[in-house]
Amino acid sequence: MPWGWIIGLGLVALVIFRIYYVVHVLKARDLAFFVGAMLQSLQLGSLYALIALGYTMVYGIIRLINFAHGDVFMVGAFLAYFLFSRSPYALPWALIWAALSAWGVMFVLNLWRGSFRDPIVIGGGVVAMAGLTYALSATTVNWLLAMLLSMLITGVLGVVIDRVAYRPLRGAPRISLLITAIAMSFFLENTGLLVFTRNQTPFRPPTEWTQYLQFPVFGSTVYTTRLIFLIPLATALLVVALTLFVTRTRLGKAMRASAQDPETAQMMGVNVDRVIATTFLLGSMLAAAGGVLWGLNFGSLNQPAVMGILPGIKAFAAAVIGGIGSLPGAVIGGVLLGFLENFVTALFPRTQHFAGLTEYKDTFAFILLILVLLLRPSGIVGEDLSEKV
Amino acid sequence: MSEKRMRNAVLTLLGLGLVAVVLYLVQASGNAKLAQVMALFAIWGIAAVSLNLINGTTGILSLGHHGFMLVGGYATALLMLPEAARARISESARSQMTPFTLGLSVESWMRAIGLPGLATPGTLWVRFLIALLIGGLLAMLFGLLVGVPSLRLKGDYLAIVTFGFGEIIRLLASTHLLGPFTNGALGYNGVPGNFGTSLWWTFGILALTVFVMTKLKFSSYGRALQAIREDEIAAEAMGVNLAYHKVFAFALSAFFAGVAGGLWVSYLAAARLDFFLFFLTFFFLVAISVGGTGSYTGVLLGTAVVVFVQQYGDPLEQPYSLHTWLALVGVIIAAVALGAAWLRRSRRLRPVWHPLLFPLLGIGVVAVLTALVGSHWAPLTGTFQAFGMRRILLAVLLVAIMVVRPEGIMGRAEFSWAWVFRERRDQPSDEERAQDAWLSNPELNREASDDEGEG
Repeated sequence: MPWGWIIGLGLVALVIFRIYYVVHVLKARDLAFFVGAMLQSLQLGSLYALIALGYTMVYGIIRLINFAHGDVFMVGAFLAYFLFSRSPYALPWALIWAALSAWGVMFVLNLWRGSFRDPIVIGGGVVAMAGLTYALSATTVNWLLAMLLSMLITGVLGVVIDRVAYRPLRGAPRISLLITAIAMSFFLENTGLLVFTRNQTPFRPPTEWTQYLQFPVFGSTVYTTRLIFLIPLATALLVVALTLFVTRTRLGKAMRASAQDPETAQMMGVNVDRVIATTFLLGSMLAAAGGVLWGLNFGSLNQPAVMGILPGIKAFAAAVIGGIGSLPGAVIGGVLLGFLENFVTALFPRTQHFAGLTEYKDTFAFILLILVLLLRPSGIVGEDLSEKV
Repeated sequence: MSEKRMRNAVLTLLGLGLVAVVLYLVQASGNAKLAQVMALFAIWGIAAVSLNLINGTTGILSLGHHGFMLVGGYATALLMLPEAARARISESARSQMTPFTLGLSVESWMRAIGLPGLATPGTLWVRFLIALLIGGLLAMLFGLLVGVPSLRLKGDYLAIVTFGFGEIIRLLASTHLLGPFTNGALGYNGVPGNFGTSLWWTFGILALTVFVMTKLKFSSYGRALQAIREDEIAAEAMGVNLAYHKVFAFALSAFFAGVAGGLWVSYLAAARLDFFLFFLTFFFLVAISVGGTGSYTGVLLGTAVVVFVQQYGDPLEQPYSLHTWLALVGVIIAAVALGAAWLRRSRRLRPVWHPLLFPLLGIGVVAVLTALVGSHWAPLTGTFQAFGMRRILLAVLLVAIMVVRPEGIMGRAEFSWAWVFRERRDQPSDEERAQDAWLSNPELNREASDDEGEG
């Protein structure tokens, strides 16, 4: 589509011109600042991409805007925090959470193994129980282990949410499903306040990845952290793993088939409910990974009631920009949104007569979302999803 | 027929009179908490009823109602702000307001147009009425703005766009762009509070809103809106102007939301941005979904449920000892297991006791037993206060109602006197009988007999 290229290249040219203007005419910023902003955008964009993948996969299969996904992301971040830091839970509570999570793991494994007496199901439950009791009662756990455990539990949570709230509504109007998702989001936010904390929480696991890093560029210095390597690399790793799963395995093939046409897939012998559960599992696991990396990136977690909302809605915007229902689209949209959001504020710095655009950063994401939905709901690489008569 | 209409009108008036007596008694009894709860019910009722015009009658899920309320609320607050509060704002160094925006006041306008009689403390109610009207009209403008995307989008995408608009309004209100009008994050204090807490004002405007909405529902406009809800394409084929009717619904709904916002600001005697968060829209959504999507009776019922949980749910958020909480968690887990088994039995799934239910039941029972036995065990001493329990309850209620009974308690049925007197229209009238006789009489209606013969 030539118009897409023309608009895209025009935008890039405008940005370059504006950078030149800000650096050489306004002299408000130097070039190294923009290199730093570029790196930061990549970091932020990778995080958006991780969350957007969950939105796009769920929308692709059951056409649901999973409003609760941002809050699943919040749960993932806080779970990891309470796993690697000293947990506030006394032994009975640790045991209850561990038992519930182990039960959830067994529930999910049972979906694929089909029998409760299967050694994998029982073994998974026992391992999860032991690991979680240890992690919750131990003073500190390695943050990577905490992240993996958090991904596991959050994935299970996603499956349970689907089973309890969404699966009874298969075939109901999509609006009913959306209302249920909003209720689920509200439930998770307030339960988070109850179970986790009511405060902004520092998120500083003992790791070398958050150390500062600086290197000279264009006669000036760019300041960043080692996370500039970790976050995009982790995202790329997860995305590659997801792509391999979707393209190379039987379950992935079933997933693509269900996304294309659930009814026909069912007729061909695909267990669509199991496929949807898998989708929720994978999406929530990616969201949890995103949550941990988000915490590392910002060094603190907002309080549970608000932490998930803005990242969630921005990631949804990213999924729509990329083209909802498409995996590469979510990644492209996420990175693009990261760049746009950072550069809107970086390109219009505070000057004598102008307060800068920093305070419009969140508004910008919403405006972008509305514009994309209005002008090109199919996104950059997406198929046309407009309803046909 | 007209006899029955007469009877219904008289009964409605009597009912309104009864409500007025109840309001009078509540006010006379001096029960401040009850009066406050009822005022809140009326204010949220106005907003929920107006949201129902979009969500229930027209069938468009709109999630931006808190934005409309914000516009109406801030406009009313600014226009009604007393001089003393204005002086405090202009002295404050952190204020963003300009002399122009500080001069926006109904009181000074009344003086300027030569009506000093309307600028006295005794005529505050006239100024409040004017401010409410202006607030409603401003919200209506925003409603028009939000209604326009509804021409291009449908369903969940449109819902997200309305949500985005609601959030944009709230986010912009704290920036330098709208800061001179909203006083940024500081907001206003000292808004006259004697209207939002007055039962006569709130219930009067609620009655007006319900009157307008029900009249609208059964008018040609309302039928057109309901036709849009059932099937847009069929409605358009029948000659319903989709664009006009949708934008009309948004604008009217936003107007009443703005009025509700004005009363809400007066109820709280202040205007701040955190009074207009998404939770308001969520509460109205709960009210609509629980009561019955599309039924104004149901919406009022749902609002009563929401207000009751919010206002009388304090016992849920008191500090209780930890072993009580452990027992509660255990009971909930066990109840989930038992409920799942019950559902499996009612759906004739075998085995009723799925193997996975046993561990769940076991966790619950163990937790309850631990709580019962170990009330003196060290980790279980101490208390815990569950803030936010009411909202969790409302969220669970909404999920439950969507899963179990998606149409809500009332469905689309409305309260009516015919329903009270059990007047069923299962006996056809004489006119209908005559028509039927004509249709089924082969001598009079040749076509009917032909069809039967062919069949």
